[in-house]
Amino acid sequence: MVIVFGQFLWWTEIAAEAFILVRSINAKLYRRYLAFYIYLTVVLLIDLLRFSVLSLHAGAYAPFYWYTEFLHAGFGYAVILEIYKHALNNSQGVARIARAFLWGVLGAIILKVSWNAVSGPVWSPGTTSAELERDLRTVQALLLAAVIALLAYYVVPAGRNLIGIIFGYSAYIYASVVSLAFGSLPGYGLRPGWRLVQPIAYLAALLIWGSTLWSYSPNSAAETESKIDHDYKLIAERTRRAISKARSFLKMGGEL
Amino acid sequence: MSQLLPYLGVALLLLVVSVLWARQLFLARKNRIELIVPRKHQATGGSVASHGDLGERIFDLEDWYFISGNEPSEIQKLFLRERSILAISWLRRTRRRVSLVMRAHVVAVQQIEDLQLAQELKLALSYLVFLILCDFLIGWIWLRGPVRTRKIVGQTLRTVAWLRGAFEQLMARVDPANCNALRTNFNHRGVRS
Repeated sequence: MVIVFGQFLWWTEIAAEAFILVRSINAKLYRRYLAFYIYLTVVLLIDLLRFSVLSLHAGAYAPFYWYTEFLHAGFGYAVILEIYKHALNNSQGVARIARAFLWGVLGAIILKVSWNAVSGPVWSPGTTSAELERDLRTVQALLLAAVIALLAYYVVPAGRNLIGIIFGYSAYIYASVVSLAFGSLPGYGLRPGWRLVQPIAYLAALLIWGSTLWSYSPNSAAETESKIDHDYKLIAERTRRAISKARSFLKMGGEL
Repeated sequence: MSQLLPYLGVALLLLVVSVLWARQLFLARKNRIELIVPRKHQATGGSVASHGDLGERIFDLEDWYFISGNEPSEIQKLFLRERSILAISWLRRTRRRVSLVMRAHVVAVQQIEDLQLAQELKLALSYLVFLILCDFLIGWIWLRGPVRTRKIVGQTLRTVAWLRGAFEQLMARVDPANCNALRTNFNHRGVRS
């Protein structure tokens, strides 16, 4: 039953990914959120490759899964980069510091896991990839929390597309961190229910992306400015009317 | 099980900030937040500086010495009760105004390219300390009265002055022309009060 449900999730995810990608081309969103759609394309290709390997060489599936899972987690940084780029588009100083921080953290994590793998007594691709994925997802969760905190603190206006990307990816990352953390425990990892947490969260993310990335919705970056501008125009218009009234009154009084 | 705590902590952090941001987005849609601070500044009249002077006057012991030396105990009680109400009201107003200044600041710094994170963190921490201090003071005045709270008020006034200074510095980098106008405004009000 669980296997059938897992297969159903897999096929639904592939269909949803393909649908979002086709829609992005139709709605001309692909270029606007290039890194995000590259991530989605890579995930779709990985899913199709995994399916091929499972059908043709079932024995090679387990190591192939872990290697591609590492790719999946690594390319997830493209989504984080995309979020940082769009969220801090109008704050060049913050964006510059955030980018340096992002690459620094990624480098540090890869170095740490590589060092552990080399210095450890037994090197297993499954365990190392799982650890790497857990660490990468945890760092992504931290970075997402940081960017959301920045958006909330600086009241940065975000469009529907950006909100969708952030909430969808946050839901997936949240579920991944929790499931990978529990999955590393001896009793939990083998339970079939835990293996479904990540696919279900990913499907939820795909549904969020499908609905929020239907059409282009820019970040209303100049909302404050335009509001000030609008208020200024309104006040200027009222003042102009008041002055013109006063002038006409004075003119009439002068004539009288 | 303890090795899970850092991961679960990070997941919880992500969940909390996401919920807070979602709440902010929902409230912003429901009730558009007004960010045009200069207009509010003018509309409310008076600045943080003049508020500082008012605070000093409210917590000044001169009136209390006069009342406690010459008037009966009922008048003294009445004085303390009314002064407490005044002090709490002043603190709430000061808190609201500093929040407006902070809101103006976070909107203004979005335009800065060479944003200094250390300065930003210092400002955010000072603001947090100020909010905690204000709430603590309100509780303290409510419990003990304004006369015994005078020393702590001095600290609050210094924090307000620091926040104002930091805000002026940042505004000078964002918009020097408006900053000069703002400073002149502060000074004029200070002289008048």
